[in-house]
Amino acid sequence: MTAADAGTFRARMSRAESTLRKTMASQADRHALYEQAVQDPERDVRFFSRVYRRLRGRDALRLREDFCGTAALCHAWAQSMPERTAVGVDLCQETMNWGTRRWIEPAGEEVASRIALVHGDVREPRGPKADLACGLNFSYNCFKTRAELREYFEAARAGLDKEGLFFIDLLGGMESMIEGVTDNDQGDFIYRWEQARFNARTHELLCYIHFVFPDGSEIRRAYTYDWRLWTAPELQELLLEAGFSKVHFYWEKTDREGDGTGVFYEPSFVENQEIWWTYMAAEA
Amino acid sequence: MRHKKKQNRMHRPKTMAQEADRHELYQRAVQSPDADVEFFTDRFEQLRNRPALRLREDFCGTALLATTWCMSYPERTAVGVDLDGATLGWGRERNIDPVREELGDRLELIEGDVREAEAAPVDITCAMNFSYCVFTTRDALRGYFEAARRGLKEDGIFIAELYGGTEAIDILEEERELDGFTYVWDQERYNPLDHSTTCHIHFDFDDGSRIEKAFTYEWRLWTIPELRELLLEAGFADVRVFWEEVEADEDDDEDDEDAMMSGTGEYVEVTELDENQESWLVYLVALA
Repeated sequence: MTAADAGTFRARMSRAESTLRKTMASQADRHALYEQAVQDPERDVRFFSRVYRRLRGRDALRLREDFCGTAALCHAWAQSMPERTAVGVDLCQETMNWGTRRWIEPAGEEVASRIALVHGDVREPRGPKADLACGLNFSYNCFKTRAELREYFEAARAGLDKEGLFFIDLLGGMESMIEGVTDNDQGDFIYRWEQARFNARTHELLCYIHFVFPDGSEIRRAYTYDWRLWTAPELQELLLEAGFSKVHFYWEKTDREGDGTGVFYEPSFVENQEIWWTYMAAEA
Repeated sequence: MRHKKKQNRMHRPKTMAQEADRHELYQRAVQSPDADVEFFTDRFEQLRNRPALRLREDFCGTALLATTWCMSYPERTAVGVDLDGATLGWGRERNIDPVREELGDRLELIEGDVREAEAAPVDITCAMNFSYCVFTTRDALRGYFEAARRGLKEDGIFIAELYGGTEAIDILEEERELDGFTYVWDQERYNPLDHSTTCHIHFDFDDGSRIEKAFTYEWRLWTIPELRELLLEAGFADVRVFWEEVEADEDDDEDDEDAMMSGTGEYVEVTELDENQESWLVYLVALA
C-alpha cells in the first residue's frame, strides 16, 4: 500500500467508524470479496479463446471449469458466445449455490441453460467432452503426491476432446517459498494473502486469505489453502506422464514500469522474479 | 633492443592466477572432507549399528574425500568414480601419492560413468557438491539412483548433498575470502520454467588477477521432494533429511541482515524445514 493509499484508507476508516454500527466484516460476503480481489474471468476467457484459436484454428465451444467455486468463469464463458456451453465441477455445493444465485439465474434462461454445475470430485471424468478444461487459482495444489496429481491430470485429459486444451495457472518465484503477508488494497477492503507456513522439505505451503475493512473489522481466514506448491518442471512432467502430448508455458509481457500488459508469449527462458504467476496449457 | 625485450619478458612476474592451481583452490574453498567423513561415520553407525568401512565417492574429482576416508581408519577402503581422467590424475599425484604407503591398495579410482562403473559393494555411496544435478530429467536421475543402490551392500546408505533456499533460485554472486585468494560463487542463470541453472566458480587474487570460470556447472536444481520421490522410485526403502545448523560468522553481528551465516558442521534430522531460508544445505540419506 502506498502512502497515498494509506491516507485515503485511514480517512475511509474513520468515516466508517462513525456511521456504522454493525462491523463491515459482518456485513460482507466472502465470495463476493474473493471474486473482486482474485478473479478476472473475462480476461481468462479472452486468453483461453485466443490460444485455442491459434493452436486449433477454430473457436472452442465447450468449457469444463474444475474447482469452479462460484462458477464465475462458466458464466463469463457462456456469455461470451451464444454457441458456448460450460460445465463447472466443485466439491462445495454451498459455493456453487452462491454462484447460481449471483451469476447464473440473473443471466436469464437462455444463458443458464448452457451452464451445468456438478457437485463432485474433479478426478471423475464426465461427458460431454470439452474443447477446453481448466483448473485455476492453483487449486490442483491440494493434490500433494505425484500419483494423485497425475490421476487428476489423467482425468482432465479423459474429459477432453481429442483436440482439447487443458489450462492451469501456477505460482512461483523466490517469495512463493517463504512465509509472509501481502496486502492488496481493493478500495473498500484490503485483500490480505498470508503464506503462513512453507516446508522446504515437502514444499507444503499453508496459506490464508483474510479480508480487512476500513472500520478495522476483518474476516480472518476467509479461505484456507493446504497445498503442495508444485514447480513448473514438475507440472510439465506430470502433464506429459498423464498423456498430454505437448505443454506450453505462457508468460505475461510487462511494460516499462514492470506492470502486466495482458499480452502473453511463450518463452523457453525467463528470469526468476520475487513472485510470479502464469498459465500453462497442455494439448490432449 | 631485442635482448632487452627478451629480458623483460623473462622477468615479467607471473600473476598469482597464473601460478595458482584451480584444483587446489577448489579443495581449499569448497571441500571439508574431515567433516564429511565424521558425518558419514556417525550417520551409518546411528542408522545401521555397525561401523562403515567401505565408501564409494561418485563424481570424486580429485578423490580427496575417498583418500581422507581411507586415511581415517586402517581398515577402511574406498572407490572413487569420475568421468574426468585429468582430474583423477591430479588427485593421484597430489592427494594419493603422498600417502601411498599408508594407503596401500585400499583406494581404487575408476575413470567412467557413475551409472556404469562396477566395484565391490560398499557401505556408503556419496554424491557430493551437487554433482548429480548434471542429470536433468527424472529418468536420468532415477537411473543414477538405481545404479547407486545396486552398488550398495544390503544395509548400505546413499548420501547426496543439496542446496536450496530463496537465494538459490536467483542470480547472484557471493564472495568468500580465504587465505591468499577469494572464492567467488557466481549463479549466472536460473530458469524457473525448467529449473536449469548455470553457475561458475572464479578465484580472485590480491594482485588483481583472476581465474575466470575455473569451474562451470550446468545443472537442474532439484528440490528436496523431487529427490525424495526419485530415491523411493529407485528402490530405496526410506529417505532422511539432515540439515546443517548455521551461525553468524565471527566478524558479523548476528542481527545484521547482511551477516554471512556459516555452517557449524552440526547436523540435525529435520521433518519440517519451516521458514525457507535464503540459503540452506542438506544431506539426503537414503537407506537401501
